[in-house]
Amino acid sequence: MPLLSVENIDVFYGDVQIIHGLSLIVKEGEVVSIVGGNGAGKSTLLRTISGLLQPRSGTIHFKGEAIHKMAPERIVERGIVHVPEGRKLFSLMSVADNLHMGAYTPKAHKLRGESLRKVYDFLPRLSERQKQTAMTLSGGEQQMVAIGRGLMALPVILMLDEPSLGLAPIMAKSIFDLLRRIADTGVTVLLVEQDVGHSLRLSDRAYVLEHGKVALEGKAEELIDNKYIKSAYLGM
Amino acid sequence: MSRKQLDMTLLALAGLISFGLPLLIESPTYLQILILLFFYAYLTTSWNLVGGFAGVLPLGHAVFVGIGAYTSTILALQFNLSPWFGMLVGGMVAALVGVAIGKPTFRMRGAYFALCTIAFSEGVRVMIENIDSLGPIKFNGPRGLLIPLKGESFWNYQFMHKEPYYYIILTMLVLVLALTWFISRSKMGYYLAAGGDEPDAAQALGVDVAKYKLIALGLSSFLTALAGTFYAQLMLYFYPKGILGLDLSFEIAFIALIGGRGMIAGPLIGALVLRPLNEFTRIYLSNQLPGLHLVIFGLILILVMLFQPKGLTLPLTRLYDRLASKITTTGA
Repeated sequence: MPLLSVENIDVFYGDVQIIHGLSLIVKEGEVVSIVGGNGAGKSTLLRTISGLLQPRSGTIHFKGEAIHKMAPERIVERGIVHVPEGRKLFSLMSVADNLHMGAYTPKAHKLRGESLRKVYDFLPRLSERQKQTAMTLSGGEQQMVAIGRGLMALPVILMLDEPSLGLAPIMAKSIFDLLRRIADTGVTVLLVEQDVGHSLRLSDRAYVLEHGKVALEGKAEELIDNKYIKSAYLGM
Repeated sequence: MSRKQLDMTLLALAGLISFGLPLLIESPTYLQILILLFFYAYLTTSWNLVGGFAGVLPLGHAVFVGIGAYTSTILALQFNLSPWFGMLVGGMVAALVGVAIGKPTFRMRGAYFALCTIAFSEGVRVMIENIDSLGPIKFNGPRGLLIPLKGESFWNYQFMHKEPYYYIILTMLVLVLALTWFISRSKMGYYLAAGGDEPDAAQALGVDVAKYKLIALGLSSFLTALAGTFYAQLMLYFYPKGILGLDLSFEIAFIALIGGRGMIAGPLIGALVLRPLNEFTRIYLSNQLPGLHLVIFGLILILVMLFQPKGLTLPLTRLYDRLASKITTTGA
């Protein structure tokens, strides 16, 4: 049984349909990428899985349980953690407070001391800056806080929305390295990216989204060599 | 002297001065100005729970002041209950109304929420202005309610001198400031701030943003209504346009914006700047050019928003920090 399975969902903003009959699965321990251009529905898909939006039809199951009608806070409790696009830090709070905000659910709250130590071990830079307010950090550091905040919620599956957005290439690379290390600890990762090259190299499998539909899917290593991907997304 | 000692000394001094002022000020006019200053600081601090910490912009808080004033006064005039009791009832009615309008409107963001709060409070004002009596309850329409003078009596919440009112509102202000201080350092304060700053991120982390906003609005409406009763007993007369009108709602928001939204001292600093200005321009300038004080008000708001968009509290805190570090280092 897949960890997460999205079946045939339709998602609307008002009258505008963004996602058309989309299905995908994520297995435990996998790193899965969702790639595609602007407006393909990638962020909408993540927002729907985390409960910020609800599909008009279709189902979403997590560990066999239907979650598509649940409130976001119930979904987080089950271990689906969404690191939103553009970092969205609480700008006037310190780094440590931002991280603590991640440990909102009762279970995460109980284990917050231990989680915080793990996050600082993972991201020593944050430990140095724990007293600084979030808005004084560089873009890459802010993204680290956003990811660290997600880890504080004890994710079974961590969903990241364009973590490399607006970062210098070297910083983007270190974020992808970080995701690799997170995946190696056994956290399942669902990654939405426009940086197709980097994310495919990191992933086990990938879905290519176009106009709210799955255009292509398959093993990441095979997609890298796919002619269409090369011309449309890698500029080769 | 350490920094903490300095803070405490100054705080104690401020407390001593504010509790001692009525001994020095004999003119009831000036005392009244101070009472209204504290009254507005109290209202804005209550407003700050929602408008500051929760990051939304309610522009109809006068409706809760009105609910407080009407509830306690009607209970006192027509059912012979003490305004102190009516004050609590008014607070509870206001909290219920607050939650009832917050529930559908908190889903809206930015200007839409602000517009809804304006529409609701204006709707209530127009309704009250057109209702003379509802069954046994007399509203008196646009003429408002007059509380007959019954002489000095704690039970009736009536005092012949200004001093008791001064101490009542000062105590209320100190308590509400302490409450916001406590909330801003509690888990709830962090959840409110997170939900106001980045609602999507907070929700994605599992924070039930709507729930905390509703709690904040309920509490804020309750506290605001208490001040409505105070105002009614201080003036012994009120009418819908004054106590339910947009002028009052906007003035609360002005004070918060100029002082600093979401900061504990913001409402106090805003009221300290704006209230005397308001009173003195009205006393000295309104004969020459009626409405001039509103122009000055607007000008100050524009200037503050241009140069200190987060309000005056932030630069003042920085100034104080610098002075304090000088004092503490030279002292040691």
